[in-house]
Amino acid sequence: MRNKTSLKWISIAFTAVLFMFVLLGFAYRGFMEGKISQSTKYKVTMIMKSTGSEFFKSVFSGGNAAATEYNVELYTKGPEDEEDFETQNKMIREAIEDGTDAIVFSAVDYNENAEAVNEAVKAGIPVVNIDSEVNTDLISCRIGTDSYEAGRMAARAVFEVSGGEEAYHIGIVNFDRNTENGRRREEGFREIMEADDRVKSIETVYVLSTPEDACRGTKELLATNPEINVLATFNEWTSLGVGQAVDDLGNKDSVSVIAFDSNEICVNFLETGVVDALIVQNPYAMGYLGVESAYRLIEGDEPKERDVDTETTVVTRDNMFEPEYQKILFKYE
Amino acid sequence: MRRTGLKKRIEQKLNTASGVMTLLVVGIITAALAAGTAVFVRIYHSSLTRNVMISGEQTTEQISDIVENYMAEIYNSMEGIKEAFSLEEKEKDELLNHLVSLRPDAVAVTEYDIETGELIDAWVGEEKLKPEIYTNLSYDSELIPEGQGIYSISEPHVESIFQDSYPWVVSITGVMETGGERRAVVLDTKFSQIASYIDNIGIGQHGYCFIMDREGNIIYHPQQQLIFAGLKDEDTEILKSMPDGSFEEAGIIYSISSKAGSDWRIVAVSFVDETITDNLLSCVFLLLVLILIVITATLISSIVLTRHITKPIGNLMNAMGEFEKNAEGFTYTPVKGSYEINSLSDSFGHMVVRIQELMAKVKKEETTLRKTELRALQAQINPHFLYNTLDSIAWMCEDGRNKEAVDMVNALARLFRISISKGHELIPVEKEVEHAKSYLKIQNFRYKNQFGYSFNVEEQCLKYYCNKITLQPIIENAIYHGINRMIDEGEITIDIYSEGDEVVFSVTDNGVGMSPEECRGILEKDAHGRTGGIGIKNVNDRVKIYFGEKYGITIESEQDKGTKVTIRMPKLKEENIEK
Repeated sequence: MRNKTSLKWISIAFTAVLFMFVLLGFAYRGFMEGKISQSTKYKVTMIMKSTGSEFFKSVFSGGNAAATEYNVELYTKGPEDEEDFETQNKMIREAIEDGTDAIVFSAVDYNENAEAVNEAVKAGIPVVNIDSEVNTDLISCRIGTDSYEAGRMAARAVFEVSGGEEAYHIGIVNFDRNTENGRRREEGFREIMEADDRVKSIETVYVLSTPEDACRGTKELLATNPEINVLATFNEWTSLGVGQAVDDLGNKDSVSVIAFDSNEICVNFLETGVVDALIVQNPYAMGYLGVESAYRLIEGDEPKERDVDTETTVVTRDNMFEPEYQKILFKYE
Repeated sequence: MRRTGLKKRIEQKLNTASGVMTLLVVGIITAALAAGTAVFVRIYHSSLTRNVMISGEQTTEQISDIVENYMAEIYNSMEGIKEAFSLEEKEKDELLNHLVSLRPDAVAVTEYDIETGELIDAWVGEEKLKPEIYTNLSYDSELIPEGQGIYSISEPHVESIFQDSYPWVVSITGVMETGGERRAVVLDTKFSQIASYIDNIGIGQHGYCFIMDREGNIIYHPQQQLIFAGLKDEDTEILKSMPDGSFEEAGIIYSISSKAGSDWRIVAVSFVDETITDNLLSCVFLLLVLILIVITATLISSIVLTRHITKPIGNLMNAMGEFEKNAEGFTYTPVKGSYEINSLSDSFGHMVVRIQELMAKVKKEETTLRKTELRALQAQINPHFLYNTLDSIAWMCEDGRNKEAVDMVNALARLFRISISKGHELIPVEKEVEHAKSYLKIQNFRYKNQFGYSFNVEEQCLKYYCNKITLQPIIENAIYHGINRMIDEGEITIDIYSEGDEVVFSVTDNGVGMSPEECRGILEKDAHGRTGGIGIKNVNDRVKIYFGEKYGITIESEQDKGTKVTIRMPKLKEENIEK
């Protein structure tokens, strides 16, 4: 009788220990699997202003590098047309529906994109704003060029590359005036220029953000204002257009051109003297840091900084082949 | 009061003993496992570090071999170019164009005047040369080797001679002869082959390899663009000063290897923390699990232990306490537990029964003793004997035998004094002898010297103690049953002597004797003689109660010859008497 009960007890204890072993085994497996790889990859959607420009290709390639490093599934998107904020808004809403975990976004329109971004944030999706800003407080962090400072750099570069003229007549070929970074760059540029006595006039023409329209706009600007001896423009597509126009008109020696970004054609223009200085941003870093921040946000970490300025460099014909500048100017494929 | 305190203390001790045991086992095992874990972690850490270093070194060795092969191939190409240079112009063009377009990583072959550095000719495959070349990064006069068959390699740079295209290349420069002229010849090559190989090398989760030259310039890095974008940096300042082999720096293990004669060094980067910490974490987790299991097992086994040993012992203890308090009324319910406990419990059960039996026996004996003693006393104050004696004294007085009457009264008084002896049961043999003498004196008067008597008492026996009124009933018996019926004069002899540890009293008469039945009857029946005196049985009972079964009375008798009654008692000294 008694032996039976003790046998019962021993078997109960044994079963309990065995059961615990099994449970802990499962817990351990779960723990290890959790450590080695997340069961499902995070989805991050990158929505840029376009997909075709060298600038955004570089952004995407930076984003992909981070996606590989952090084991994130990255979707890269953007409208064909750099003016098309509606498509961008549609893409944001699609991403929300597809259950993306975070959005990395560059706004075409400072105001028109705000609502869609707010919707995403309210749906619990963190939004990292890179490159071009959007008018909302709900974004988690912004990574990009300090546009105002970049505009000022462009202005200082004018005095550096031109041979010390007595009078400067400035022509600005800018893209969509609703795009925040373009507007801020022009403001920074104008701040320096307007403070300088040698600057006699500043004319701005607004064009679509395409090489063709920029080329057309530049030619018009030069035709109506033949005294212009400095041309400044603030993104890759307009830079190509301005360069093309100056090259077409054959007045590369009489007009100093300050352009943006490192499109190979533009680099060629810099080498041949059509363009005199390039303000080179760091799109690869923007993409990389954008996706990295998105990953951190999904993981629940606060961003280290709410506002990250990526590096901007002035590249001129003289320094373009110096080893350090090569690395900035030429993409490694 | 003292007993309950003791009991409590024992109980507490037992309780804490089992508790302490559990705590100790858990504590010791936890400490041992923790210490084991710490030691294990250290050993594991160092062995893992060593493993990571070894695998890093193996990887870099492999890559070194591959890079060497690749370089050999490139030098082969240079030899091919050299051969082409010895050919006619047309064949040379064809061969070089062929080479540039066929070799996937060849970008351009350019030919320079060795003196002026002027670009003489270029073979560029699909690409277009710029109409005007402003800068040519492929040509570096410092890189032109001393003689033929020796080649030098540049740092990576962009190809700056193409229209709208700036691929990153390294330049291999050699000196060749064509048409009797010495020329500098440069082969620009992408390292897509090595790159794709190196890109695919993974060490651990995030480890990788890269190539640097002996000055610490990075030749190829899988995250080249991250470095260009300023997002990543390799500490090549430290690395370039390090010899081949492995070392650890801030949680990162670097393994460097290079081939003799090569400018390039292969660096493998593995992250200690990542590889090792992951493994360690799982080990620590496993150990935690083990500790948990051990603690649970200990707890369970201590519960089982408590149920099987501690608790039965407690029950047994309670039962003993209970028994101690109330020995008579206690009924024992056996305690169940392990084999040892069971046998302990059984023994205790038997003991309880035995003790209770003994207690009952003692109680019974005590009662008997009191009764017998009382009866012995009663017998002395037997009125029949007293009347007869007083009658005798009265008669003596009438007769004027005053002297005898006085003797008689004295004897009677002594008889009673010794009989009572202040209520003590045990008296010195001396007194007992006196008692017997007094009795015999009285009886002798009464029986008008019908019998004679004598005492042979060993001197040393006098100081021992014996039951009072031992000899008297036997003498009485001898008188009434032996001598009274005789016609001749009877003789009673009383011997007291020591024999070993015993004192032996014997009363011998030469009377009519008794049959064996009578002898047995005297010892068994509580029958009094006609005189109403206490029987021999009473004496026997008292001796046995006081001293044990082995002592007491034996009777030897022969019809018409006489009877000998022997009483054996232990030698009991005064100091051994319980008062």
